Amino acid sequence: MNPTALPNLNRRSLLRLAGAASTATLAADMSSIEALASPALTQSLKQSGKRVILLWLAGGASQLETWDPKPGRLTGGPFEKIQTCVPGIEISELLPKMSSRLKETAIIRSLNTKIADHGNAYQLMDTGRTPEPSLKFPHLGATIAHELGQRDSQVPDYVTMYTSTEGRRQGAAGFLGGRYNPMFLTDQMMPANIKRLDSITDIDHRDRADLRDLMANIFERKQSHPMYDAHNSAYDRVRGLMASDHLFDIEREPQSVRDHYGPTQFGQQCLIARRLAESGVPFVKVARAWWDSHGQNFETHQELCADLDHCMSALLDDLKARGMLDSTLVITLGEFGRTPDINGSLGRDHFASAWSCTLSGCGIRGGSVFGKSDEDGKTVIEGEMNAGDLFATIFAALGIDHHKEFMVGSRPVPIADFDSEPCFDILA
Amino acid sequence: MNPSNLHQLKKWPCQDIVFCAAASDDSSQLWIGSSDAGVYQMNVTEEKPQRVKLSGDGHSSYVTCLARCGSTLVTGSYDRKLIWWDTETGQQIRQIKAHDKWIRRIVTTPNQSHLISVADDMQCRVWDLVSGTLVAEFSDHSPVTPHHYPSMLYAVAVSPDGSKIATGDRVGHVAIWDTEKFQTNKQIETPVMYTWDPQKRRHSIGGIRSLAFSADSQRLAVGGIGKIGNIDHLGGPARLEVFNCQTGERQLELEDNKLKGLIEQIVWGPADAWLLTAGGDNKGFTTFYHPESGEILHQEPHPGHIHGLWCDAAFENFFIAAHKQVSHWSMAEKEA
Repeated sequence: MNPTALPNLNRRSLLRLAGAASTATLAADMSSIEALASPALTQSLKQSGKRVILLWLAGGASQLETWDPKPGRLTGGPFEKIQTCVPGIEISELLPKMSSRLKETAIIRSLNTKIADHGNAYQLMDTGRTPEPSLKFPHLGATIAHELGQRDSQVPDYVTMYTSTEGRRQGAAGFLGGRYNPMFLTDQMMPANIKRLDSITDIDHRDRADLRDLMANIFERKQSHPMYDAHNSAYDRVRGLMASDHLFDIEREPQSVRDHYGPTQFGQQCLIARRLAESGVPFVKVARAWWDSHGQNFETHQELCADLDHCMSALLDDLKARGMLDSTLVITLGEFGRTPDINGSLGRDHFASAWSCTLSGCGIRGGSVFGKSDEDGKTVIEGEMNAGDLFATIFAALGIDHHKEFMVGSRPVPIADFDSEPCFDILA
Repeated sequence: MNPSNLHQLKKWPCQDIVFCAAASDDSSQLWIGSSDAGVYQMNVTEEKPQRVKLSGDGHSSYVTCLARCGSTLVTGSYDRKLIWWDTETGQQIRQIKAHDKWIRRIVTTPNQSHLISVADDMQCRVWDLVSGTLVAEFSDHSPVTPHHYPSMLYAVAVSPDGSKIATGDRVGHVAIWDTEKFQTNKQIETPVMYTWDPQKRRHSIGGIRSLAFSADSQRLAVGGIGKIGNIDHLGGPARLEVFNCQTGERQLELEDNKLKGLIEQIVWGPADAWLLTAGGDNKGFTTFYHPESGEILHQEPHPGHIHGLWCDAAFENFFIAAHKQVSHWSMAEKEA
C-alpha cells in the first residue's frame, strides 16, 4: 500500500487499514462472534476516523416544541415556529440558535416506534430492536465501538455520561461482550478510580499487570470462553484508560471555548464529548435528563430547550471549526416524543406514534427534512420510520454496512434489525 | 357571603384551554381568552350561549389574561401583544407589542386609569388604559434562575388603595413597588415555591403564580406550589403564604395536600373574611381559607385545572376559566 495515495489518513487510520486487511486479526478480535461480512478495504476507508456523539434526551422531548412545531393548532402549544437558514424548513422558536445551523442537520419527523413506556422504549432506542429473552442486543454505542474502535486504541471506545439519576441506564454491550461496555460516568464528570494509587509505583503497577497477564494466559490455555477474552481485553486497555483522564478535564480548554459551551452541566459534558471525539473515542453519549413533562410541558421545554439549543449549537460550531464535523455524527434522540394532546397540567404525555430526531454532520445531507406528521401531529403521513430504519441510517452515514451480520453462536444477527433500510434521502 | 354556599350554576365544556375570564357588571356577558388564540364573548343568560369571536387581527398564541374597564377590554397573550377591544362592537381598537416574551398577567388599577402587565422578559410595565401609552417599566427579577435557565414573571397585583404593586417570579422572589416613583419598598422571598431538582431530573418547576392584596392593602397573599418530589407532575401541595407588606413578616404559611397543585388565583373576600384560592394539578380546586387561622372553610374539587377566576363586586357571581371548561358559580343562598 502506498501511503502517499491516501493523503488524509493519519497513523491511526493506517493502523486500522492494516487491521482491516487481516482477517486473522479480526477473527482474534471477535472470538466466537465473527463478522461474516468481511470488511472490505473500501469499507474501512469509509469508517476511518469517524465517531458519534449521541445527545440523549432522556425522558422524551416534545417534537412539537423542537423539530416539528404545529403552531395554530390546538395541539400545537403556545410556541411559534421560526424560519431556519434553510428555506422552507421551520422549527420551534425554542431553538433559535439551531435555526441558523440547520445546514449541517437533517430532521426526521416520522418516527413511529410504537412503544410508549420508558423502560421498553429505552431498550428499543438503545438497540434498534425489540428485546428477545434469549439474546442481549448491544447498545448503539457498543456496536459503534465495535465497528469504529481500534484494538490498539489508548482511549475508551464508548463513554456514557448520565449524571441525573432518573431513567439512568448504562447501555451495555450485550452479545458483543464486556470489551464494549461503556465507561460510565454518573456522579462526576471525571472517571473515578482511574488514577494509579500513590502507594504503588509505576514500575510496581506494570509488574502487577505483567503478572496478571501471565496468570491469565496460563488459565486461558486450559479454558476458553468469550467472557475471559473480554475480561483480558479490558485489562489490556487499562494503562491507556488511566492515561486518558486529561480528556475529561475541561480546565485544559481555553476559557473562550468553555464560555462557548456555557455554564450548564450539559454544556460542560458536550465539551468533554468533543474532547473525547477529537482524541479518537468512537462513541460518546451525553444524556440530558429529564424531559418527561407530564406537567408544565411548556415551562420545562423552555428550560431544557434553552440548554439543548445552546449546547448542541456550540458543539456543532466547535466540531465544524476543528474540521471534525464531516467525520462526527451528532445524534439527538430520546426514547419517544410527547403527545399532541395537552393534559390538564399543561403537560404532554408519552407518545411514540409520530415523533422526531435529528442527525448532524458525518454522512448526512444537511438542511433536509424527512417524513411528515399530520397537521395535528398525531400520525405519520409520509415516510414512516421505525427504530431499525433509524439505526440502519446511522450505520450507513458512518459507512458501516447495515447488512452486516454478527454470528452469535450459530445464529446470524444483523447489525440493524431485520428488514430495516437506511433512509437514503438524508444521506450525503 | 358564606363560602359553603358556593355552587355551580352552569358549565360549558369545550375543546380548548380557557385561561382567563371577565364578566359584565351584571354578569350577563362573559369574555374569555383561549388556547386557540381567540377572545370570545358569551351571553351567559342564553340557554346555550354561543361563543362569538371578537374581530380584528387578534392574537396568535394563548390568550392568558384579560381585564375589563367599562366597555374596554384588554387582553394579553403569549404572542407578547396587548390588544384593546370595544366590548360593545366586538372590534379591536389597538394592539401593542408590549413585551419581548410571554405576557402572563394584567391588572387594572383601582381607579381604572392604568393597566399593569408582567411578562417573561421579567418586566413590569404600566400603561395608560385609555391611550395605551407606556407610563413606566421596572423590574427586580433576574432573567435567569440560579441554575442558568430562563426565569419567568408570572404574577402581578395592585393594592386596593392604589399605592402598591406586587410582582412575583419563578424562583419565589416578590417585589413590592410604590406607585408614585415605581421603586421597590419591600422584597420578600418565598423559596419553597420553586423546586429545583439537581439530581434526578435536573430542571425546575413551580413559581409564584398568584398575588393579591387584602382589602386594607396591608397584607399580601402569595400563591403557588410547595416542594415537589417528582417534578414530572404538579404533584406538590397547593401553597399559600400571607405577608405583612410593611414589615415583610410572614403571617401565614399553608399547604394543602388534599387538593394539590398550583394556586393560580387568589381573591380576598369582603372585609377580608376569607381567602379564595383556585388552581390545580391535572384537575382543579377551589379552596376557601380563614385569613387569620388558615383553617379551610370550604373546598371544592373541579374537573379541570383552573387557570382564571373572575368574581363580581358583591362576591356573588364567579366565573371559572379552566382546562376544557368554562363555568358559572354563585355564592348567593341557594333557592329552596
